[in-house]
Amino acid sequence: MLAVRYNPAMSKKTSSRRKSPKPSPRQQGRRFWRLMLRLTTLGLVLLACWMIYLDAVVTSRFEGRRFEVPSRVYARPLELYDGAGISAGALVRELELAGYRVRGGNRPGSYQRSGTRFIINTRGFDFPDGAEPARQLAFAIRGDRVTGFSVTAGDVSPIVRLEPAQIGGIYPAHREDRILIELADVPPALIGGLLAVEDRQFYDHFGIAPLSIARAMIANIKAGRIVQGGSTLTQQLVKNFFLTRDQTLVRKANEALMSILLEWHYDKNDILETYLNEVYLGQAGTRGIHGVGLASQFFFGASLKELDIHQVALLVGMVKGPSYYNPRRHPERALTRRNLVISEMAEAGVISDQQARAASARPLDLSTRPSFTDNRYPAYIDLVRRHLARDYREEDLQSEGLRIFTTLNPEVQQAAENATSSTLPRLAKGEAAKALEAAMVVTGKDTGEVLALVGGKDTDFAGFNRAVDARRPIGSLVKPFVYLTALAQPERYTLITPVEDKSFTLEFEDGRRWQPRNYDRKERGLVPLHQALSRSYNLPVVRVGLDVGIPAVQNTLKAFGVSSPVSGYPSMLLGSVSLSPVDVAQLYQGLATSGFNTPLRTIREVTNADNEPLSRYSLKVDRVADSAVVHLVQYVMQETMQEGTGRSAYYTLPDSLTLAGKTGTTDEGRDSWFAGFSGDLLAVAWVGRDDNGATSLSGATGALPVWAALMAQVPQHGFSPVVPDGVQYRWVNPEAQALTGENCDNARLIPFIAGSEPEQHTGCNGSLGGQIRGWFKGLFQ
Amino acid sequence: MKKVTGFRLAALAAVVTLAGCASGPGGGSIYVPAGSDSRSRVPEPPKAENGGERVWRKSEQPAERTPEPADTRAPSYSETGDQLPAAALTLVRDADQLLRQGDSAAAIARLERAQRIAPRSAEVYFKLAEAYVAGNNLGAAEQFTLKGLSLAGKDERKQRSGWLLLADIRRARGNVAGADQAESRARAL
Repeated sequence: MLAVRYNPAMSKKTSSRRKSPKPSPRQQGRRFWRLMLRLTTLGLVLLACWMIYLDAVVTSRFEGRRFEVPSRVYARPLELYDGAGISAGALVRELELAGYRVRGGNRPGSYQRSGTRFIINTRGFDFPDGAEPARQLAFAIRGDRVTGFSVTAGDVSPIVRLEPAQIGGIYPAHREDRILIELADVPPALIGGLLAVEDRQFYDHFGIAPLSIARAMIANIKAGRIVQGGSTLTQQLVKNFFLTRDQTLVRKANEALMSILLEWHYDKNDILETYLNEVYLGQAGTRGIHGVGLASQFFFGASLKELDIHQVALLVGMVKGPSYYNPRRHPERALTRRNLVISEMAEAGVISDQQARAASARPLDLSTRPSFTDNRYPAYIDLVRRHLARDYREEDLQSEGLRIFTTLNPEVQQAAENATSSTLPRLAKGEAAKALEAAMVVTGKDTGEVLALVGGKDTDFAGFNRAVDARRPIGSLVKPFVYLTALAQPERYTLITPVEDKSFTLEFEDGRRWQPRNYDRKERGLVPLHQALSRSYNLPVVRVGLDVGIPAVQNTLKAFGVSSPVSGYPSMLLGSVSLSPVDVAQLYQGLATSGFNTPLRTIREVTNADNEPLSRYSLKVDRVADSAVVHLVQYVMQETMQEGTGRSAYYTLPDSLTLAGKTGTTDEGRDSWFAGFSGDLLAVAWVGRDDNGATSLSGATGALPVWAALMAQVPQHGFSPVVPDGVQYRWVNPEAQALTGENCDNARLIPFIAGSEPEQHTGCNGSLGGQIRGWFKGLFQ
Repeated sequence: MKKVTGFRLAALAAVVTLAGCASGPGGGSIYVPAGSDSRSRVPEPPKAENGGERVWRKSEQPAERTPEPADTRAPSYSETGDQLPAAALTLVRDADQLLRQGDSAAAIARLERAQRIAPRSAEVYFKLAEAYVAGNNLGAAEQFTLKGLSLAGKDERKQRSGWLLLADIRRARGNVAGADQAESRARAL
């Protein structure tokens, strides 16, 4: 500070000095030394300031990169009670996922099965809403249901929650998935190998190794270029904290200073652990592969603990040049480097000569597809991360060791994954099959809880999450909302209102023409409204949509949860609006629940490490449409499954499982959609190509088989909506637009908004007119 | 104070409804175990386009020749919602106790568990509405009452409880016309 202070006396002196003719040599020498002293002081002070600055920078970077306790992500807990729906196979899978073992004795965390009977010794668990104590449960599973449920040891209760399975660990405060490891979990061969190759004096130096630097300098001067680096692991770690890799002297000096500071602050093992989590080992697109945990998944598709010596050696070898020794791109180079590392490991005594020989003989053993995560359900957890970011405060997510209770149902998730992987190869052959992709969302019909999510055909792969990010035109999935808008005017539209299936041309003001067509290019003249929807005819829906007005249809879509802008062109009536499968699930939730929107969610609760809940998001319902009108559309969506475009589902599904749904197809089969629901589940399936190419599929032949394969695996209740107030079922002859007798061949039991049913009455042959009906009303009814 | 008395009346009505519930598992909806049907008629998958030849895509409408599955199905509907299973009833009673202790948040958590078990029982939604009234969130309470009413079907007791509860909530929210309308619906039963 002294040096920079302005000194008027000094400046005066200087100015007076100018006037003096010439200083003597002695005076000159004294002045020189005084100046030198001042400059040195100034330099030292500046250096001290710089060191303080560097210290702050390097410690904050280090703290931000240290090992953190990940947030634990849990599946929904399984509730066991008399009548609970689950198959014996699914229960066993669930128990295994939660780490239960088949063993004698009554140890918590074990179970026994003999035929249909189960005995489970639960471990007990601290749920956010209270503790569930350890118990022994006994029950049987018959017809995919729990029966004879009893608690044979512990607190008696007619309903018991098993502890939830942990399905992943995430770092909600970071944008990308990280895989952090603790030093204790690192194979000793990896540490030994790393130190042998990169920094033999790691445990002895103080951050830099002057001897190594000197040795490297000599080697570099001899070679005339940089052939050897003398960096310690600490210096490499510091270099990693900053993105630029230029090798200027100033940069090197800064790194050396920061390394010394880091060593001064932290323990060697802390530095090593952080190094292992931070080291740069490759690149995937824009994403850097940092840390040995992620690299292990990325290159070998396995966790670090599972790696053998030859794989460990490859990771160590790649530290020198992740791109030059990239084993996927330059396998021979990488193999040579790996074997060099193996021999250095043997020389340093990390492994025996015998181990070295065996390891050198092995291939690289890379996984065929790179993975970025060690989470079992990457697509689902991706949605959890997004919901965390959407619903929770950032500062709450910063704390370590959160517990995140999700709504994932492992049984349904498995069924959805099976449905996708088993059905997709059957839909096409050869190249066409390779290009096909799929996505699926399954939610609890009345809870809005996302039970399962499939983001693509490779379900273990954390990549493009089509369920969330693939926004595609929804095609005919929009039709129920067009008819819903029309049926809200019961004085004009009922399910038997004849609508015209006849082509027409729309001419826009700018002269462009639009001529919609049916998929089969046929025209059928007048058809009853319910049939036009269940068979998904295009011409009537455009006519009806134009009649009620596009703005009215837009409003319906908005009310049901479409948040993106919806086109005002008539093509929107045929589904030109683009949505992701998750958006479609939200849209259909209101249809499935008789007009009550329930926001979709993946998170029930988040607690901090002390089991204190963060802000909680409760179940919400919001009435967005008249239940009576929705009931009419639900009727037609059931008809779709029974006699319309969705009926092939019943080739694989039991007749007793009543379902409602809708197919959707876009031009040239670019998108094949199916959205539908049972009493318990709502599921949306999409099949198409990532490049938006044409396929030979329609909604009924692409997405529907995937959807049906899911539904076939899950025990559940059929769809049977409660008749809302103001709806009357009547036997009618739809062609004659008249009431008719129950036993007539062409009679159909159809729901009407009270007061909108036809007044005319017809006999079985359709001959009796409306006027006659009035006279004989009392006699015949 | 008048407001509180009104809610108490409706709450009582809902409790009476609950007590009257038989508690068979599953309620009214038909439960279908997985793979209960032994048929395995898998439809022939459509062929992909071959070579450069353009094949007109299959119609979204089912082909005329497709054999009709036995025409025994008809769209299903129910006159009433599901009965409350015993397990859910236990949770609802727990919630009642928590409400009496003034812990509406814990009661709501318990009722959401019950709702997952019995998502088509009107009673659970009426109870949720009560819990939201206790937590002074009348907007949510009204929505849950409407949801419960949509599942009451032809069960007049449930209808009456629901309409009375709705009338109380609407009155407390200052919607006098809506409250009168709900009350007249209850009287008309």
